[in-house]
Amino acid sequence: MNTTSKTSIYKGITPAALIAVIVMPMVLPSTTLATEILIFALAALGCNLLLGYTGLLSFGQGIFFGGGAYAASLSMIHLNFGLLSALLCAMIVGALLAALVGALAIRRTGIYFVMLTLAFSQMAYFLAYTLSDWTGGDNGLLDVPRPALEIFGIQLADLTSSQAFYGFVAALFMLIFIFARRVIHSPFGSTLVAIRENEGRASAIGFSTSHFKLLAFVISGAITGIAGALYAMLLNFAPLSNIELMMSENILIMTIIGGTGSLLGSLLGAGTIVMLGDILSSIWPRWMIILGIALIAVVLFMPAGLWGGIESLMKRFRESKTSEPDPKLQQEAKS
Amino acid sequence: MNDYILETQNLGLRYGAFAALGSVDLKIRKGTIHTVIGPNGAGKTTLFHCLTGERTPSSGSIRFAGKDLTRQPPHKRVATGMSRSFQITSLFQNLSVRENLRLAAQGRDGLAALAFWYSDSQRQQHLQKADEILERVKLTALANTCAGDLSHGQQRVLEVGMSLCGDPELLLLDEPTSGMGIDDIPIMTDLISELGKQHTVMLIEHNMRLVMSISDQITVMHQGNILVEGEPDQVRGDERVKKAYLGESGS
Repeated sequence: MNTTSKTSIYKGITPAALIAVIVMPMVLPSTTLATEILIFALAALGCNLLLGYTGLLSFGQGIFFGGGAYAASLSMIHLNFGLLSALLCAMIVGALLAALVGALAIRRTGIYFVMLTLAFSQMAYFLAYTLSDWTGGDNGLLDVPRPALEIFGIQLADLTSSQAFYGFVAALFMLIFIFARRVIHSPFGSTLVAIRENEGRASAIGFSTSHFKLLAFVISGAITGIAGALYAMLLNFAPLSNIELMMSENILIMTIIGGTGSLLGSLLGAGTIVMLGDILSSIWPRWMIILGIALIAVVLFMPAGLWGGIESLMKRFRESKTSEPDPKLQQEAKS
Repeated sequence: MNDYILETQNLGLRYGAFAALGSVDLKIRKGTIHTVIGPNGAGKTTLFHCLTGERTPSSGSIRFAGKDLTRQPPHKRVATGMSRSFQITSLFQNLSVRENLRLAAQGRDGLAALAFWYSDSQRQQHLQKADEILERVKLTALANTCAGDLSHGQQRVLEVGMSLCGDPELLLLDEPTSGMGIDDIPIMTDLISELGKQHTVMLIEHNMRLVMSISDQITVMHQGNILVEGEPDQVRGDERVKKAYLGESGS
């Protein structure tokens, strides 16, 4: 399993993610679509830390996404923040919102925890709707800039072209991807898995589980906040839908369809949903029905998600190559 | 310094009008194997839960190694040198045997394990601890097996092994042979008497042969209070104990 393998975080799925990031803009119809996939892959990555590694089903991800989008946009519009400081601002706001939601929600477990995150999500939406002077309300926050990449006043790259922006998002994605792997393979990450597996035992062997869950929330919120900020920069616009419950659902669906066992699953899930949306919405306005069917199919037939499905396919392929397949392994692959 | 590692004073727990635990003064001497027995409903498990911190007693106090920890939550008791096992096997089923033990060793670190910026394999001492315990409980050959794939007997042994990883001074074992087959019980008996050489062990147990063969001290509980306390031979011959176990209807 992930927690027992002591492979370097730069090997294994990291080069696989790097290849995907390089190939995507070449094969996809537009660079903007590829950028959108990476942004949502970041959001799904943040969600995966909670759902896949800690076992927390949070409907609060939209709050951090929308919060990050607003924080970056407002700081750029009103305070003239540059690219990196705006992203930093979004990261901090995402982390703070997650700390707030997390601190209260983790006081309960199971279904009550889920309901609390749901309630927070609704509250955040109506708050954003009410504060229309700041958020633009239903119309969204318009004219969000996309500043150039600058460090200490020295301009490194102009990101106005979609290719340049993709390059920036891709670099940031890889950075955060590696960071997330470091988190998972750290003492902290292995404790999260312990909490997911058996919270009572984790507490009995000495872990204050609430501290660990809270930090998981904060890291997840920080990553999701960055994703929200990048999305606002991509669209030059921060719509109210960023902070809607629907956004939380979308992020969750991407995470689940991709598979919660692996970080690469989050990229796969985000890619699948964003592309399905892009292709199907032009053919049929009710394409969400198909998305629903896809979700049902994955949950019923591929409980480990698309990535889990691919892994077991690869396993079966390797077995068919070896002369004598192990019947037990085959059974596992089938199940 | 007295030689009692754990002392309770007037420890009681009430649920409304019902006293699950009346007023218990339990003293556990350092370096002994101390067993608590008693018929069903005698309050053994309630006493155990108060000691581990799962239940907060409604009266009395618990002193461990000179510190008062009556109201400390379970996870904080680990750092003070107290460790427990569960009656119903409670493992990380989908993780390997070694990872189960490594996590248990990491648990002693408490909040230091919040570190997310370096690899967990850098913490060599936890891996070493896990391997050391693997040797002690004789599960080395199964180190990479999923805990869930072990036999019930092996899971019981791992259960006890995990409680050893935090270098406890006092081990609290909740019915270590629970559900074990007759063939596996000698393994557990050997293991516990082996542990008794290095740790203070307090256990709740139903298997009388095990209790009589390994205990230094036995406390018999009845209806929420201590009935008799003494060495195995004293307890074996005591009329009150026989009466408590047979029920009072016959008298």
